[in-house]
Amino acid sequence: MYERTQSHISLRELDHESHQKIDRPYELLHVLEFSSSRRRMSVIVRNVENQLLLLSKGSDSVMLERLSKNSQDFVAVTMDHVKDALIEAAADEIERDLILLGATAVEDKLQIGVPECIEKLENAGIKIWVITGDKMETAINIGYACSLLREDMEQIVITLDSPEIIELEKKGDKEAVAKASRESVANQIRRGTLLLSSYEGRSVSPALIIDGKSLSFVLSQNLEGSFLHLAVSCASVICCRSTPKQKALVTRLVKKGTGRTTLAIGDGANDVGMLQEADIGVGISGVEGMQAAMSSDFAIAQFRFLERLLLVHGHWCYRRISMMVCYFFYKNIAFGFTLFWFEAYASFSGQPAYNDWYMSCYNVFFTSLPVIALGVFDQDVSPRLCLMNPELYKEGIQDILFSWPRILGWILNGIICSVVVFFFTTSSAVHQAFRGDGRVVDFEVLGVYMYSCVVWTVNCQMAISINYFTWMQHLVIWGSIAFWYAFLLIYGAFPPLFSTTAYQVFVEACGPSPFFWLGTMLVVVSCLLPYLLYRTVQTEFFPMPHDSIQKWQRETSDGRRGKLREKDTLLCK
Amino acid sequence: MNSSTPSSSAAGAGSADSTAPRRNSKRPKYSRFTQQELPACKPILTPKWVIGTFLLVSVIFIPIGVVSLFASRDVVEIVDRYETDCIPEALRNDKVGFIQSDRSKTCQRTLRVPKDMKQPIYVYYQLDNFYQNHRRYVKSRSDQQLRNNGSLQDTGPCKPEDNVAGGPIVPCGLIAWSLFNDTYGFTRNNQQLNVSKRGISWKSDREHKFGKNVFPRNFQNGTLKGGATLDPDVALSDQEDLIVWMRTAALPTFRKLYGKIEVDLQRDEIINVTLQNNYNTYSFSGKKKLVLSTTSWLGGKNDFVGIAYLTVGGLCFFLALVFLLIYLIKPRQLGDPSYLSWNRNPSGH
Repeated sequence: MYERTQSHISLRELDHESHQKIDRPYELLHVLEFSSSRRRMSVIVRNVENQLLLLSKGSDSVMLERLSKNSQDFVAVTMDHVKDALIEAAADEIERDLILLGATAVEDKLQIGVPECIEKLENAGIKIWVITGDKMETAINIGYACSLLREDMEQIVITLDSPEIIELEKKGDKEAVAKASRESVANQIRRGTLLLSSYEGRSVSPALIIDGKSLSFVLSQNLEGSFLHLAVSCASVICCRSTPKQKALVTRLVKKGTGRTTLAIGDGANDVGMLQEADIGVGISGVEGMQAAMSSDFAIAQFRFLERLLLVHGHWCYRRISMMVCYFFYKNIAFGFTLFWFEAYASFSGQPAYNDWYMSCYNVFFTSLPVIALGVFDQDVSPRLCLMNPELYKEGIQDILFSWPRILGWILNGIICSVVVFFFTTSSAVHQAFRGDGRVVDFEVLGVYMYSCVVWTVNCQMAISINYFTWMQHLVIWGSIAFWYAFLLIYGAFPPLFSTTAYQVFVEACGPSPFFWLGTMLVVVSCLLPYLLYRTVQTEFFPMPHDSIQKWQRETSDGRRGKLREKDTLLCK
Repeated sequence: MNSSTPSSSAAGAGSADSTAPRRNSKRPKYSRFTQQELPACKPILTPKWVIGTFLLVSVIFIPIGVVSLFASRDVVEIVDRYETDCIPEALRNDKVGFIQSDRSKTCQRTLRVPKDMKQPIYVYYQLDNFYQNHRRYVKSRSDQQLRNNGSLQDTGPCKPEDNVAGGPIVPCGLIAWSLFNDTYGFTRNNQQLNVSKRGISWKSDREHKFGKNVFPRNFQNGTLKGGATLDPDVALSDQEDLIVWMRTAALPTFRKLYGKIEVDLQRDEIINVTLQNNYNTYSFSGKKKLVLSTTSWLGGKNDFVGIAYLTVGGLCFFLALVFLLIYLIKPRQLGDPSYLSWNRNPSGH
């Protein structure tokens, strides 16, 4: 074909009679377009002799069906021409005597911020392992790229690519191969362990690299213990050529073997097993689809967000939860023990010191919101400083904020508070009058007096324990206290058949009595004094990491009168 | 190097971006609340704050303590324990027998006024070892019955002091049944001192808990008399002694208002008390005391508040001094990051 226009196709054909090349135009009448369901296309043309021709082409299976019965002669020969071997032979002939132009390479780019993130996480005391399906060279390169492996790090490589194993594989004896492989892997682990012991005391431990085949022998042939022992002592571990199943198995091995908390992060469908197996699974949503994100506990958009997730939110979350649990123990003990001490003075008959409604509403209205505000909003250190000091994260790893001494300390604080509340209130309101009009303290008044002291004390304790006061904290803490008085007023206004001992007790008896207010102030301050003293001594002479950082934060932004505004810190950075 | 800048400045830039042409971004909408960047106050315990707080507490507490102590010292109180002395000596080995017998229970006591007492002087009776806060005792009353004339039959909680043969007991229950019945008469220089018994109970009790049209009925009619009898012609809301008694006490040692003396008493005056020692506290080794007391703005005589305030104030002052000394002698460069443990060993771990 040498020319094609909208309406004509011109062909240079070999004429059978004259054996010469002649040019013939064909008028293009119609094109039957290609479709994937028909798997063919056709054109209808009119030749010079005014004949109408239909020319059709398509895949061999489709065309053969459409042949008329009397043209089967050429079928066999044509089918022969389509065979693979012939095509390969033809290709082989064509692809010869080439000229070298150059070399290309594909860089599988790391996301932005990954090396910095990994370095920060290592500083935070987190051990990082890479489990990938790529081959060893790729995995090692990635290790160097994201600063998991460093130039001065020795590498312990466990692989089954040695010549002896390959020889055995060629022979095909499965049992011998398995036996030799196991031997080889065990030997390599032993050698690695020996190398490690010569590293005692030095700062940079070696890195361990193991491939998928060896890993399968480790996991199935009882070599887990020695492998884990070796791996945990190395600075980092890279498992290459791992199957998704092995990813999950390695995660489980580490989780069960070391008893530490494991976090798995991945972005592909092949990471799902690992994400589910780890204590925390973080899925990166994006390029490889949503599979990983959907089966994870946390989904983030880029790897570098992990840094913020762990160092800022992880740190805050740990502090908040441990503080919240300790405080819960404290406030309920402070409340419950006053009832217990009262029983000693009521001949242990089971008479509660307070009206039923006071007690029911304690954990619901008067002391619940401040704890929630603590658990959701408290920040001990600003996010910027959390990221700048990854070592703060070690507080969580070493579990220093929720250790037994701390829990018992809070419980003791609760007991001391209850003792102070009860004995101060009863010693101050023994049997003498508590007002200028000669009235004495009765059961109802003592109940309100003690209960007010408890509510004030636990809320003020919250106020001096938290590190971060926004309008929300002010609202819930002072609001809870105010709500107690409002509740007394409202409940006391109900008819006495409903409100029994609380009927007008605040309005009539307690409110106008200066003794009541002075006594409350005395009791609250006395309860909080021991804790304040302890905190002062602890922050000054035995500071914990976050205390020092808080002070440093305050010092470097001095000039603002005592108040640190979060937004200003961010802007001036 | 700080890789936090992309994320934090991205948060900041988000708000500025609202007017720029919309990019196809999945970043959530920025708000101070959701990004936890509310303006915040971050109090920390610097030396200034610590010393300041302790000083402030001592500055507030010590004056209050002084004032309270003076108020308490100003109160003049006469306490006379009489339950043993009011039994004739010969019969003291069987006190319970004595109190339950028909003998004369009149007893003469003498009180000496230690200092000038300004009216109103409150007269109390004090009982020791009497557990008015025992659960079953506290339960044993019927508020419905006390209030409504129509609910006289409502004696459920009052068992066993609920009914007698003639019908329901009004007021029912153990609290009313054990009504205190010692009486006191005061004379000074052979002149009677009037003890006003009006207005000794709480107004809310008189008006809203005890009914104006509820009258005592079948009271102390049973085999065991627990205490005083009540005049069946006086409505409950006027029975002030009953109302005072039924406002149960908090602790086993308590006082209840008996009446008011509305004249001044001079120092060294002798008051003669004629008391009827009717009430049986001997079965449970209880003590009975007669108390005359003035009041101050703070109430009766109790040094605890004043002493406690002074103690706490003094302690805080002492602590403030101690910390001040420590910071002057051994000032620590606070907030120095070189003190951080990981900066002290730069090799890590």
